Amino acid sequence: MTKILIAGAGFAGHTAALYLGHYLGKEHEITVVNRFPYFGFVPSWVWVGVGHMKPEKTTIPLEPVYRRKHVRFVLGAVTEVHPDAGEQYVLVEQGEGEKKETRRLDYDYLVIATGPKLNFEATPGLGPHGGYTHSICSLPHAVQTRDAYLELVKRMEKGEQIKIVVGTGHPGATCQGAAVEYISNIHKDLVKRGLRQRADLLYLSNEPALGDFGIGGVQARYKGQLLSSEEFMAALFEDFGIRWQVRTAVKKVEPGKIVWENAEGENGETPFDFAMLIPQFKGQPIRYVGKNGNDLASKLTNAAGFVLVDGIYGLSYDVLRRNPDAWPSVYQNPDYPNIFAAGIAFAPPGPISQPLVTPNGTNITAAPPRTGMVSGIMGRLVALNIVDLVKKGRMTHSERMSEMFAACIASMGDSLWDGQAAVIVVQPVVPDRRRYPNEAGRDLFSTHMEVGTSGAWMKLLIHYTFMYKFHGWPLWRIIPE
Amino acid sequence: MKITPRDRFWMNFKLYQLWRFIVLNLKILKAIDHSKRS
Repeated sequence: MTKILIAGAGFAGHTAALYLGHYLGKEHEITVVNRFPYFGFVPSWVWVGVGHMKPEKTTIPLEPVYRRKHVRFVLGAVTEVHPDAGEQYVLVEQGEGEKKETRRLDYDYLVIATGPKLNFEATPGLGPHGGYTHSICSLPHAVQTRDAYLELVKRMEKGEQIKIVVGTGHPGATCQGAAVEYISNIHKDLVKRGLRQRADLLYLSNEPALGDFGIGGVQARYKGQLLSSEEFMAALFEDFGIRWQVRTAVKKVEPGKIVWENAEGENGETPFDFAMLIPQFKGQPIRYVGKNGNDLASKLTNAAGFVLVDGIYGLSYDVLRRNPDAWPSVYQNPDYPNIFAAGIAFAPPGPISQPLVTPNGTNITAAPPRTGMVSGIMGRLVALNIVDLVKKGRMTHSERMSEMFAACIASMGDSLWDGQAAVIVVQPVVPDRRRYPNEAGRDLFSTHMEVGTSGAWMKLLIHYTFMYKFHGWPLWRIIPE
Repeated sequence: MKITPRDRFWMNFKLYQLWRFIVLNLKILKAIDHSKRS
């Protein structure tokens, strides 16, 4: 019996668990370790954050799903991995306080899909734990942010003028799409409440240009001409009356004040009453321990704690952007071939967006997004390769981010009647200038951008179809990641 | 690019948006098919 262990049950881990349970669950031992007893549908937390969706509508209890799929569930956090041959196991920390205990789980294959550590500590004053800003990066954070936002609405109803800042709180942050969605949803919510004139909305980001989204922007045909995502987003934000400031590194946050430096090296401060800033993402703090107790972190992770896989690391940005094959294809660690990483947990070979260095030496680089659809695809791919390895002894699946298609539906109001969403389809996520010898490095037939009510319908359709899929209900596999 | 009143009309015109909804779904399905899909 093969023992397969999945650390994390987000998009990548949960997708992998469903596939592994389906193909191997009856004959082999599949175990999922997760810090929370539920799967959280992260894309809908932008609605939780403005009070438009109940938190419980975005979660799925994991145990009942896994019971049906012949997958064992362990509530806890993986703290140590012992990957050396002979005794391969992880240590899982369970419980809290005095009830805290450590449990050993052996594995033959390990999938690390732990998602990010939200590194608020990298920016002084950032985050909801002792800082002055909010976050929608976890469900408890989104609920806290909603409560703070609704308090703010009460102040506006009393006639107060409010400054709202949404964006990224670290020069190396990612997930700008979530910030765009959140500020657009705040705009729509305030319009509906008749309070829009009481709020000044600012989008503050580390992207090299508006609409970059950490993927180097998008170029697509729109009304017969080539349109950049920068022009597209600028037109939408102008229409919404949202100001923007990009190419900016948030250095620290003080009460009511964001301190920043921009790519030109200018320093400044932005006052705020309410701010939602996305932190830097790092790998989860897991210790990788060798047979003799030696630290194996350098073999398994990069400096940020993300798991090294089969990509080519250490290339300069200019070399990397010309080499789509530098992106990993099977997400397998080269030193420990029975360890895979999927979703945010894997180490990308470098940025997709143009890195910026300020005259003062601050590096402002939007990290590559690898959430949602991209994570799900990786989870499926890793699972199918493990199935192959167990059944045939060799892998048959591969997909680089430079071959991967992704659709991003950025909500701009959730109403089915007058809500909107920007639908951005990219093929591939990482530009491949060899296969697509145009400026964008993408398939200009498939790559697409548009905004309208149809997008809001799609966003809601995606919420319900994905929640269905992640319950593992009949025919779940025909719903694409 | 600038969002004009004409754009705003089409963005909210339900019959046209139903058409776009169908087209977008087909476009995404086509892209999924076109993508390597391992």
